[in-house]
Amino acid sequence: MFSWKESGRIIFLLFVSSLIVVPLLATILGGFKSNGELRVSPFGLPQEWDLQFYGEILGDAQFWRYLWNSFLISIMTVVLTLVLGSMCAYAFAQVRFFGSRFLFNYLLLGLMFPFAAAIMPLFLTVRDLGILDTPWGVVLPQVGFGLAFSIMFFRTFFAQMPEELFDAARVDGCGYIQFFWRFTLPLSTPILATIATFVFVQSWNNYLLPLIMLNDREGYTWTLGAMDYRGEYAAEWNRTLAFVSATLAPAVVFFLAAQKYIVAGLTGGAVKG
Amino acid sequence: MAEVQITGVNKTFGTVEVIPNLSLTVPNRSFSVLVGPSGCGKSTLLRMIAGLEEVSAGSITIGGEDVTHAEPSDRGIAMVFQSYALYPHMTVRQNIGFGLKLAKTPKAEIDARVDEAAEILQLGPLLDRKPKQLSGGQRQRVAIGRSIVRKPKVFLFDEPLSNLDAALRTQMRVELAELHSKLDATMIYVTHDQVEAMTMADQIVIMKAGIIQQVGRPMDLYNAPDNPFVAGFIGSPKMNLIEGPIAAEKGAKVLGVRPEHIDVSPDAGAWKGRLRHVEHLGSDTVAYVEAEQAGSLTVRVPGEVNMNAGDDIFMTPRAGSIHLFADDGSVTRA
Ligand SMILES: Nc1ncnc2c1ncn2[C@@H]1O[C@H](COP(=O)(O)OP(=O)(O)OP(=O)(O)O)[C@@H](O)[C@H]1O
Ligand SMILES: [Mg+2]
Repeated sequence: MFSWKESGRIIFLLFVSSLIVVPLLATILGGFKSNGELRVSPFGLPQEWDLQFYGEILGDAQFWRYLWNSFLISIMTVVLTLVLGSMCAYAFAQVRFFGSRFLFNYLLLGLMFPFAAAIMPLFLTVRDLGILDTPWGVVLPQVGFGLAFSIMFFRTFFAQMPEELFDAARVDGCGYIQFFWRFTLPLSTPILATIATFVFVQSWNNYLLPLIMLNDREGYTWTLGAMDYRGEYAAEWNRTLAFVSATLAPAVVFFLAAQKYIVAGLTGGAVKG
Repeated sequence: MAEVQITGVNKTFGTVEVIPNLSLTVPNRSFSVLVGPSGCGKSTLLRMIAGLEEVSAGSITIGGEDVTHAEPSDRGIAMVFQSYALYPHMTVRQNIGFGLKLAKTPKAEIDARVDEAAEILQLGPLLDRKPKQLSGGQRQRVAIGRSIVRKPKVFLFDEPLSNLDAALRTQMRVELAELHSKLDATMIYVTHDQVEAMTMADQIVIMKAGIIQQVGRPMDLYNAPDNPFVAGFIGSPKMNLIEGPIAAEKGAKVLGVRPEHIDVSPDAGAWKGRLRHVEHLGSDTVAYVEAEQAGSLTVRVPGEVNMNAGDDIFMTPRAGSIHLFADDGSVTRA
């Protein structure tokens, strides 16, 4: 049997996971309940499994359009953040150049900048660039705001790569740029996957930025589209819950795919450990 | 021809001068060993020869060609690092062939050369493994394989054996010596282990604080050290270095005599002392003695000798094996 210490740990873990799992299940199950039942028993199993709302949503072309828009914006944000963030961080980690400290600290200032304060100038800039109502209008500001933290994490990760690895590669004829493609990136899958997941989920759930930048219904993300499902006359929470549950799936799939790579110890065997 | 010629090299990191002014010739096909205490600049010197570190002043030529500012890969050198620095995401085959691949060598030739190196180092069955699936000794061999496949003129080793256990170190020492005679290349080898230096070197270079103390063949350094530092560094157990009246009597500042060059007797001799501790190694017996005027001395006697801590003994330095280091840096032997 379990020891006291072990039992305590298991109970604690169960408690913590229930904090996450219970609301999630309630959301998914809520989509099967009637509005009346939702009010009385928000957490229990549905008395009657009503497939109407899930059916309607999954059969709705507009839903798939919202989903696609969100997906496109999130993927573009992830790819751009990874490419720019890793290259930038590599320069900070590997190359000693004049003003690198100043530049890095300047970038870190971006971490402290409150997003809300930037809304007005951001809107004007995006408008002047002529990318309002396009995915870019959301993607570029998201990348801009995500870069500071991703550069910081990338740099920390790159900096702990054994220095002799670069020396050995140089003796073999490898320059800075080749080293980045042939060593730094392949050896950085854990941090790439971590940052990708984080950026993806943030973009997937972003509401404020799409609200400001997207006016055309066709370009709406699911967070904006959610309004459609509240019902015309009364708030139909079951429909909303079904909608939210349906939008969770892609984020979960992305997370599961990335999780496989979020394992440390990939540099094992490079140097005597 | 791959003589390495270092002329007037200076290396300064910021405001710290690590190597003030160093000149050295490493003869073609020699096995030269750089030794010295930790932090004396051995790695720095090796890295400057490799081109991984810029010289602050001076010049370096390899095989008559000035490479002072050449890229590491253009110098005709290969280097084996203390940490091995294997590429963790590549197989052994890819690790060994990587330099050739970057040099755009045809695939068939890469394969042939990797196989040849694997043959020399007995790496054949391991070619498809990743570094983390190898033992320490196997990793070391891969690192060596990676260097020989490029057919360099000069091999550079930075303490390649220091991560291995004693038995493996002895075995690899022999393998490296064999490799040297097989490849007939110039090798420069950094270590702070004087046994490695003595057993492997054609030429030993002893450094201290960025300055070369003496260059020579192992037995020359053993028999005729230029100064007390070299005398104490080469040989194990260390040479006895005696200061004070005993040295002054012979007109020297320091009198040096090796533990194996002292004869002991229970009843008569030049110096009297009391045994503090005795080590019985079978092949010899090493005694640590507190002598009356000379201070702490180490004595080595061949074979098994019956001596015990607390006994009084008499010691006589053997004629012809006494090194007298004078104040002005000159040496005489008596
Ligand atoms: N990049 C650097 N910046 C500043 N100082 C350095 C740098 N690299 C080495 N040094 C200094 O240069 C001196 C010589 O270092 P080096 O690594 O050459 O010593 P070493 O003889 O190889 O020692 P060990 O036997 O411990 O490896 C040391 O005092 C070290 O602190
Ligand atoms: Mg060193």
